[in-house]
Amino acid sequence: MSLRSLSASEVDADFELAHDTVRCIGSWTVGRIAGLERRLDHTTWPRGAEVVFDGSAVTAMDTAGAWLLRRALRTLERSGQRVALRGLRAEYEALFAMIGSPDVEVALATTVSTPPLLERVGAFAWHGGQQGMKMLSFVGEVAIAAARCAARPTRIRWRPILYNVRTAGFDALPITGLLCFLMGIVIAYQGATQLQRYGANIFVADLVGLAMLRELSPLLTAIIVAGRSGSAYAAQIGTMKVTEEIDALRTVGIVPIELLVLPKIVALAIALPLLTVYADVLGVSGGMLMARTELAVNHTVFLDRLQHALRLSDYLVGIGKAPVFAGIIAVVGCFQGFQVAGDAESVGRRTTVSVVQSIFLVIVADALFSVVFNYLGI
Amino acid sequence: MVELAKPSAAVIEVHDLHTRFGAAIVHDGVSLEVKEGEIFALAGASGCGKSTLLREIILLQRPQSGSIRVFGREVVGLDDEEALPLRRNWGVMFERGALFGSLTVSENVGLPLREHTRLRDRIIDEIAAVKVALTGLPASAGPKYPAELSGGMRKRAALARAIALDPRLLFLDEPTAGLDPLSASGFDELVRRLKELLGLTIFLVTHDLDLLWRVADRVAFMVEGRIAGVGTMHELSKSEQPLVREYFYGPRGRGAWEQSWKRK
Repeated sequence: MSLRSLSASEVDADFELAHDTVRCIGSWTVGRIAGLERRLDHTTWPRGAEVVFDGSAVTAMDTAGAWLLRRALRTLERSGQRVALRGLRAEYEALFAMIGSPDVEVALATTVSTPPLLERVGAFAWHGGQQGMKMLSFVGEVAIAAARCAARPTRIRWRPILYNVRTAGFDALPITGLLCFLMGIVIAYQGATQLQRYGANIFVADLVGLAMLRELSPLLTAIIVAGRSGSAYAAQIGTMKVTEEIDALRTVGIVPIELLVLPKIVALAIALPLLTVYADVLGVSGGMLMARTELAVNHTVFLDRLQHALRLSDYLVGIGKAPVFAGIIAVVGCFQGFQVAGDAESVGRRTTVSVVQSIFLVIVADALFSVVFNYLGI
Repeated sequence: MVELAKPSAAVIEVHDLHTRFGAAIVHDGVSLEVKEGEIFALAGASGCGKSTLLREIILLQRPQSGSIRVFGREVVGLDDEEALPLRRNWGVMFERGALFGSLTVSENVGLPLREHTRLRDRIIDEIAAVKVALTGLPASAGPKYPAELSGGMRKRAALARAIALDPRLLFLDEPTAGLDPLSASGFDELVRRLKELLGLTIFLVTHDLDLLWRVADRVAFMVEGRIAGVGTMHELSKSEQPLVREYFYGPRGRGAWEQSWKRK
């Protein structure tokens, strides 16, 4: 059996209509029936006592071709016309009979239709609400596990905490430092043109210092960590869920939340404030560099002014946000990891969702902080 | 479909195949022939190079030397484009199903049809439903995602996708691995029935002795990168080779053998 002999000698499937006989010809196989079903649908069939399908000139037939023939016969039968099939070769006859089995009819009847718009909107809202509830119950579970650990400090797992401080904190130093340094440069550069106009060059220190310490350092650091570590948490826990490792942990008597979630939250709560301090330093350095080259404000003058411009509270406000952001990132990442169900594709989807959600929530939390601090006058 | 083939024409010919992974020798001069219309099984212990041979035949891996001819055409070294006509004429069922997780079962089955034919979507959906029913899946399985199916149903869905384009040649990798005995024997019957109805040639890789006794027309027994024996199960069970004997007359081998006698 060679490929060429199989394809070259075959001709496209076709049919000829003469009186009340339909002569089927050619090769009724999957590669040669394109367009045929349309013509079968649009043919005006004869109205006689009986329409006869003559299959004696069919040179080849597979399940797709057999289905097409069965389909044509079925349509005619349903319109009340009597039909008959003759002359089909024995092996094709068997195929044809199999296509007409009751199982096939049931399978065909089970077609899925897209639900109407309103139903989809409802389902979407319901799903969103449920996710919210699940998240809430996850937070509750974590809180209970945390309380249990706090009551029995021997249960605290130090090794994973330290490991996570390293991967989420120390390993993130280069990228966080670089981005914040660049951010400091950008702010000073943007401010320079405006400040020069009023001869207020020295206020570049106020601009960079306040912007970095209060807002940008904590926010940028949180966004970087959400992308680096939050996604890793979701992927790690999600993969463990797919491979049933989470269940395996339960069976050997380890509470998965204690081993996989609490150390991550604690580690991020330690690492993120430290990273933020580092980001503050690098951000201000960037501003300082730009102040000297663009505004002729040298380092001594800049640092002197910085001391007057900043209060301790500005610094603490920035650092204080970091643990909250850490909690959001770790909880969202782990929660999405636990939401993975089934297959690898779900791991990918949940990882993406974890990053989008944690960044969204971090920014919302930051906005709330601004409102509250403004109200309190800090 | 099958009428052009001369009986006993070889569909797959493997000649003097050598494969190495670094220092490990996987195939050391493998030769075999699969005839038109037969169910040919490749048996052997885990790690003896069965699955690698299958992957080489279906162009997923390349041997160091030797020749593999499928439908009379040399396949070693073909690129993806040259391989396309061959790939359209064979179907492959992977050990763990390899169903696309983002598609439903019917979409999985319809995918090769959508890709390689110009049929309308409605017809493709109908043909997919026909295949789903042919492989013995309940109608409710069609709109489900693979993750929602049991292991046995996933295998059937994978088989439905493998026969989507009505191939002439079907490759099955460990078709009964991970199935309970009842589903496994159901699968044996399904393979036989499909072979008869669709005129398929089937090449399967397995270490399931029951499957070998029940469905295989001929079996090649592979030991340490070589074919230790080829023949029907009855011929092989009389083999003098110690390794083959060990395989068939170990406790499990005996059980499967006695079973097959009882049936007769």
